[in-house]
Amino acid sequence: MTKPSIPLGLVFSRSGPYAMMAREMEKSALMAVDEVNRSGEFDFTFVPHLRDPGGVVAAYHACCDNLIREEQVEHIVGCYTSASRKQVIPIVERTERLLWHPARYEGFESSDNVIYVGAAPNHTVVPLVRHMLDRIASEVFCAGSNYVWTWESNRVLREIVSGAGGRILAERLLELGDTAVDHIVNEIIDRKPPAVFNTLVGESSYAFMRALHAASQRAGLSIPVLSCSLCEPELKMIGPAASVGCITSSAYFESIEGAENRAFVARWKARHGTDSNLSVDGQSTYVCVMLLARAIRRAGSTDVAAVRRAAANHRYDSPQGPVWVDPANNHCFLTPRLARSVQGSQFEIFWEAEAPERPDPYLSDLDLASFARPDKASETTLRRGSHLRVVK
Amino acid sequence: MTKPSPFAVRGRRALMIMKDERDIALLRRQFDRLGMSVIEAEPAQSQLPPDPVDVIVLDADSIPIKSDCALSWKINSPIIALIGTETPSRLKWLLDLQPASFLVKPLRSAGLYTALVVAFDCAQRRIEEAAHVERLEDRIRSRRIVVAAVLQLIRAHALSEEDAFTLIRQTAMRYRTTIEQLSVEIIAVGGMPNRTSRTA
Repeated sequence: MTKPSIPLGLVFSRSGPYAMMAREMEKSALMAVDEVNRSGEFDFTFVPHLRDPGGVVAAYHACCDNLIREEQVEHIVGCYTSASRKQVIPIVERTERLLWHPARYEGFESSDNVIYVGAAPNHTVVPLVRHMLDRIASEVFCAGSNYVWTWESNRVLREIVSGAGGRILAERLLELGDTAVDHIVNEIIDRKPPAVFNTLVGESSYAFMRALHAASQRAGLSIPVLSCSLCEPELKMIGPAASVGCITSSAYFESIEGAENRAFVARWKARHGTDSNLSVDGQSTYVCVMLLARAIRRAGSTDVAAVRRAAANHRYDSPQGPVWVDPANNHCFLTPRLARSVQGSQFEIFWEAEAPERPDPYLSDLDLASFARPDKASETTLRRGSHLRVVK
Repeated sequence: MTKPSPFAVRGRRALMIMKDERDIALLRRQFDRLGMSVIEAEPAQSQLPPDPVDVIVLDADSIPIKSDCALSWKINSPIIALIGTETPSRLKWLLDLQPASFLVKPLRSAGLYTALVVAFDCAQRRIEEAAHVERLEDRIRSRRIVVAAVLQLIRAHALSEEDAFTLIRQTAMRYRTTIEQLSVEIIAVGGMPNRTSRTA
């Protein structure tokens, strides 16, 4: 007997400005679909329907409209940017469908028709800033792309840092896709800030990392760079020398120990080649499909309300560790991690939270008083926060 | 002059600074139904059209936060903000433009009329409050003169401070002038002027 098939919408911009990341995400989604379809654990199969909005914000609405009307999908996995998600939300809300969103984002949103599988800001920027204040510096130079992720990350950074008596030295922005980074790099070399917070994305970020590395070498400087978004495939794009030493906050790194992740990475490499790398967004897309498959199995139905109920609080031991949906805000419990990029386009994890952290998309639980007030006399403090647990 | 009613929207003129074609079409249809005329401007342009408008509908998400264009606009009309992103960084930017009211995206046919009424009412109140504040500031500025006039009367007519002020107030009332105006005259003549005709 053949299993019943369930249409599944996959919306990723395989072309356009962030095609590289979107292709990684689509590859992971299709890998998860294949695993579900071959598995005896599920009494259904997914039939993926791929749509490519080409990175054009307005095209996301048409793609999802088409998936819902023509393919009768109830569940869509996709979107990478917040602008695209905001296009899709009205249509999934109006038609009572569910969007499974893999990418981390800046928070301040909570739709009943979205399951936010990517990290919330309390998982990413908050632990990174805490580490910076505890271990690196209380003054920081910000370089970012001129869009909502940077604006909001920098706001959170500014709020925490100034609350702790520190200071944002400068905030320099580039338009999305702009690779003319020299003026920012020159200013950094001139001012020698104790830390740089990089929220540039895509080609802007790669060009910046390369130029900053070259200029720092010439000047004999070593300035720590912090990021909430760099991932393994991007380290490869930056190149072997300039990609080393970046302190990155993420819920997933390819180097996570543990049987689930080792097996996942092995399956990925078998499918895509040993020289291919996983990324946080790719892994998160895989988790989206798996959370959906498990919720459908648990609900015994694809009905959105039933699936949403079945997904709530249902723990899945994913490659990134235990993940489950918090029904209070439809975001996921995830384990924040900090790592340093090393040779071979990999990250060496040096801290992780002791348990998955409750998602806090509105940062309503952010306690500014809990941050170190660094010793103003010296630029760097080496006090150890009690929340730190060294894993390496 | 009678105050314009905020509920009377017919014949008023709106400027839409928006990008999304579907949102523009939806609002345009709704403005038509309300009998309002509409002009449009690109979010990226550094100057707004010179034509005066009664209200501006501004899609907050269409303008980068760190750009100068919106800040360089000379805005005298109330702003209705269209809000998609609710991050504090975006809302802080919006607060600096002092929106009179707002609509949350996705837009629907309902809501625009309320947003317009609130915006027109808010604009009217702002005009009235500005006039009120100006009157109060005038009075603060002339306080120095009133105090000087009271001192003048204390010296010239050997009055207590309270009696001197009462005399100024009553005289001002009798001649239907303001305390401030009478104080100017007291200082000019060095005592209570001998008035035979009404001023003011």
